[in-house]
Amino acid sequence: MENIGVIVSFLLRVAEPVMALIIVILCFSSLRGGRREEHALVVLDDDSRKVSYPVLFWENSIGRSKGSDIVINDPAVSKDHAVLLRRKDGWFITDTGSKSGVLVNGEETVGRCALAIGDIINIGDTRLVLRRSLTAANRPGSTKENKRIPGPVILGLISIYVMMMLLQAVINMGNTFALVPAMGFIAFMFISYALSYNIFKRRDFELEALAFLLSGTGIMLAATHNTDTHQAYVQLAATIIGMVIYSFMIWFIEIPDRVMKWHIIISVGAILLLASSLVLGKELHGAKNWIVLGPITIQPSEIAKIAYIFVGASTLDVLQTKKSLTEFIIVSAISVGLLVLMSDFGTAVICFVTFLIISFMRSGDIKTVILAVTAAILGVVIMLSVKPYIADRFAVWGHVWDYADSTGYQQVNSLIYSASGGLFGLGLSKGYLQNLFASENDLVFCLMCEEIGLIIPVIIAGVIGGLMLYARGVTTRSRSTFYSIAACSAAGLLVFQSALNIFGVTDILPLTGVTLPFVSYGGSSMVSCWGLLAFIKAADERTYLHRHKKSKKPEKENKTSNTAVET
Amino acid sequence: MKKTRTRAFPVLLLTIAFFVGIAYFVFNLVIHSAEWASMPTNWHLSDNEGIELAGSVLDRNGVVLAYTENGQRLYNEDYSTRCACLPVVGDSTVNNSTAIQTVYRSDLSGYNFIFGLGLPEQYKSGRNITLTIDSKVQKAAYEALGYNKGAAVLYNYKTGETLCLASTPTYDPMNVPEDIETNDAYDGAYINRALSAAYPPGSTFKIVTAAAALQYKSDIDSFEYDCNGYDELGGKPVTCYEPNGHVNLKEAMKTSCNIFFANVAVDVGKKHMTEQAEKMGFNGSYKWDGINIGKSSYDVSKASVNELGWSGVGQYKVLETPINMAVISAAVASGGTPMKPMFVKNISGQFGVPSADKKSEKAKQMMSGDIADRISEMMRACVEESYGEWVFGTNLKICAKTGTAEVSSSGEDAHGWVTGYSMDDEYPYAFAVIVEHGNSGYRAAIPVAAAMLQAAVESDKN
Repeated sequence: MENIGVIVSFLLRVAEPVMALIIVILCFSSLRGGRREEHALVVLDDDSRKVSYPVLFWENSIGRSKGSDIVINDPAVSKDHAVLLRRKDGWFITDTGSKSGVLVNGEETVGRCALAIGDIINIGDTRLVLRRSLTAANRPGSTKENKRIPGPVILGLISIYVMMMLLQAVINMGNTFALVPAMGFIAFMFISYALSYNIFKRRDFELEALAFLLSGTGIMLAATHNTDTHQAYVQLAATIIGMVIYSFMIWFIEIPDRVMKWHIIISVGAILLLASSLVLGKELHGAKNWIVLGPITIQPSEIAKIAYIFVGASTLDVLQTKKSLTEFIIVSAISVGLLVLMSDFGTAVICFVTFLIISFMRSGDIKTVILAVTAAILGVVIMLSVKPYIADRFAVWGHVWDYADSTGYQQVNSLIYSASGGLFGLGLSKGYLQNLFASENDLVFCLMCEEIGLIIPVIIAGVIGGLMLYARGVTTRSRSTFYSIAACSAAGLLVFQSALNIFGVTDILPLTGVTLPFVSYGGSSMVSCWGLLAFIKAADERTYLHRHKKSKKPEKENKTSNTAVET
Repeated sequence: MKKTRTRAFPVLLLTIAFFVGIAYFVFNLVIHSAEWASMPTNWHLSDNEGIELAGSVLDRNGVVLAYTENGQRLYNEDYSTRCACLPVVGDSTVNNSTAIQTVYRSDLSGYNFIFGLGLPEQYKSGRNITLTIDSKVQKAAYEALGYNKGAAVLYNYKTGETLCLASTPTYDPMNVPEDIETNDAYDGAYINRALSAAYPPGSTFKIVTAAAALQYKSDIDSFEYDCNGYDELGGKPVTCYEPNGHVNLKEAMKTSCNIFFANVAVDVGKKHMTEQAEKMGFNGSYKWDGINIGKSSYDVSKASVNELGWSGVGQYKVLETPINMAVISAAVASGGTPMKPMFVKNISGQFGVPSADKKSEKAKQMMSGDIADRISEMMRACVEESYGEWVFGTNLKICAKTGTAEVSSSGEDAHGWVTGYSMDDEYPYAFAVIVEHGNSGYRAAIPVAAAMLQAAVESDKN
C-alpha cells in the first residue's frame, strides 16, 4: 500500500509539469488568438492630394516626423503636431504645441476638441476630412474571437493541477492539512470568474488564470511546509484581497481622464505611504519596511509600487513629448531615497529600473536615462563611502562556495537542493530547503526546484517573461498610451523583480531578498502583484469591450452561470 | 502609439536577458548538478537514508566492501577487512570527507540529472564503484600497523592504481564504538591519514634536498663533509645521531647525515629549495579522483639560516602527507615524472549498464631523468648497504629511505617513516609508511612496508 502511494506520488510529480505547460500554452495562445487585427475604424482623407490616412489606434500622433502614427509630408506641419484620440464618447483632436495650430471646420481649437464624421481638420496647409473606414463597415467582427479558450476550461485545468498537488501532499505528508487551502483556492477561482463575467463583463480570463496558476503553486508549497501550514491561509487571503484590488483598479483606470485627475493625489499618497513606513515602520530582517497593524504586518513599499506605475504612466494628451517628466523625476527620486533609507535596497533598485522604463517610454529621451543612471552610480558610490558595510552584503556574490557556512549559506544550499530535485522534484514537503530562513519567499525558486522539479519553476519564469511579451504585443491595441506604458512598465517591473529573486538565490546576481511574483509567501507582495497585473489587463482593449456594449440582460439572472461558455 | 511600441524595446531586451539568465541557470545546473547534489551538506544524502539504497563498493578483485541489503548498509563480513577498508570506503555517515561513500555519494545513491534524487526507492538504481584498492593488502597493512597510529600507502607507479591506503586508528562500521568521539584511542578515526594528515617528513625529505642539490648546486659532486655528529649553522647547533665520518652526497644519504644535508640546503638557498619542493608536490592543492588531498607544506620564508638547514632534513616547519611521499618515490622510480595516483577503477552505469575502466594520467615532472637515476642509485644503496635486503621480506629489488622525524612538542617519541619502491617490472610498487611515535623508521615503519609489499605480491600472483 505504501509502495503504491510512493509510485502515485512520483507519477503526479511527472504529470504536474505537463499540466502546467498545457495551461500556459493554452492561455498564451488564447491571448494571441483573440486579438483584433489592426484595421482602420476611421480614415483621414486628404482629398486634394488623394491620400487616405488610416487611423489604426486609439491614440494617434499626427506630424511630420517619421515616428508619428500618421505622417503628413507638409513642411507647414510640425514634427509633433496633434493627437487624434478615440474615447468612449467619440473622436477628439488635441493640439500638441504645433506652430500653426489645428483648425476644425475652420475654427481654431484650444485643448481637446470633439470631432464628428465629416468634420474638416486643417493642419498646416493640409486639409483632412474624417470619414468612416470602408473596410471597417464590411467587417463582421473579428472571427478570431471564437478561437479563445473559455475561462472555465482553463480554470478546470488549473483545478486539476492543484488537486494533483493536493493528492501528492496528502500522500507525502500522511495528513490533510493542505485540503482546505487547496479547495478554498479552487472555489475562489470559479467565484472570481463568475463575478468577473457577470458583474464586470469581462469575457477573457487568461491573465487571471496565469496568475492563479502561479499563486496556486505558491499556496500548495506553503500548505505543505512542514512546520508552518498557516502560511497557506495567508496566501489564500492575500489572493482574495489581490483579486479585489485588481478588479477595483481595472474599474478605476477605465476612464483615462479620471486617471489624470487623481494622479497628483496618488503621487503624494505614495510618498506619504513610504515615509510613514520609515516613521512608523518596524525593522524586520534588516529592512525597516514593515508596518504592524495588530496581527497583520504589511509592507507599504509593495503597495507603493502600484501607485508608482500609476503616477509614472499617466501622461495623456501630451502624448510622447519630452515635457512634464520633471514631476515624475521628483517623485521617483524621493521614492528611491526613502526606500534606501529603509534599507530596502531590492525595492529601491526595482523602483529605479521602473523609472528608467517609464521615462524612456514616455519621452524616448536617452539623455534622461543616461543622466539618471549616472546619478544613480554617483549615489551608490557616495553611499558606499559613507556606509562601507553595505558592500559586504555583495562581497559573497560569485564566490558563494567560499562562504558556504556564513553569508553564502542560503545560496549554496539553494544550489545543492535544486540539483537534488532533478526535473520532477522530490515531492511536496519532502525537501530540506523549507527549513531554511526565508525559504518560502527569497529561496522559493529553488524550493520549487527541489520539491516539484526544475520544469515548473522554469515554466513560471516563462509566464512572467510572457506577460512582458504580451504587454508589448498589445501596446498598439491599447485604448490610450497610458495603458500601454503602464502595462509595459508593470510587466517590466515583474520581470526585473523575478530576475533579482531567481538570479539572487542562484548566485547569478547578488542576493537582494525580493519576492518572486505571485509565488513567494507574503501578503503585501501578492496584493501588489495583482495590482500590477491590472495594468497589463487594462492595456488590452478587449478588457473593456463588453462593458461598453450595454448588456440588456439583468445582472441577477447570471449569478449562477459560472460555467457559462462565452460565445 | 507606434512610438510607444518602439520605446518598449528596452523592456523587450530586459525580458530576453531574463530568459537568457534562466537558460544560464539551467545550463549551470546540467553541468554542475551532480557535484552540487553530492555536497556532504546535502541532507538527502548525508542522513542514513541517503546511503541505504546505494550501490556496492568493491575492491579491485571484486571483493564486496560495502553493499545494501533490505535497506541496510552492510560491509564485508570479515572484521579486519571492514576495519582496514573503513578509511577508504567510509561508513554510512559523511564524517570522513575523503571516503568513497562520501565523495561518490551521489553516484552510489543513483543520482542523475533527470530524476535528481527523486526516483521512488524501488526504482532507484545506484551505481557500483570498483576501487583500485586491494583489500588483502589493505588488511595486511592494517594488521601490521596494529595498535599504532599511522598510515601506509602503496601504489603501482606504472598504472597509478593505488592498492593500499591504510590508516589507523579505525573502527568497525557495522558496530561503531560508542565512545568514538571521546576516547583518545579513536583520535582522528574519521580521517584517512594516508591522504589527509601531514607530518614532519624527517630524513625522507633528504630525497627532495638531494634533488634540489643535483639541480641547483653545481659543485654537489665534489662537496664533502667530515661529520663528527655536531656542528653549528647560523650560530646554532645541527646534530646527527652519531658521527658519520667523511661523507659525500651518496654516503650522506646512506648514513642519513643531517649536517651534510643541512649545509646543502643552506647552499641551495631558500628560493631554490622552495622551487624544488613545490615541483615535488609541496604547497599545492590536489584533487585526485575527486578526493581532496591534504596539503604538504614547505615554507622557509621566515626561516633563519639554522632553520633553513633543519628544513633540508625535513624538520623545522616542513610537513608532508604519506601519499605525497609515495608519489615522490614513484617519480624517482619512473624517471622523474610520476603517474597520478588513482583510487577508483570503475563506476558502473545506472541500471546495470557496464562502463569502461578509468585510466590514470601522468602528473607534472618532479625532476629530470638524470637526477631521478642518481637518487635511485642512492636509495638502492640505502637498502643494499644500510638496511639490508632481507628487511622487506620479498625477492623484490627495493630502493628506500627511512626517516625518523622529531616531533617538536614535548618529549614524545619521533615518528617513524619509510618510503621507496620496488625496481621489479612485474611489481612496480611505490610506497610510504608512517608510524606515529614509532621512534624509528627502520624498526617501526619498515615492517609495515614489508607486510604490505608481501601481501601485494601474493595477491597479484593469485
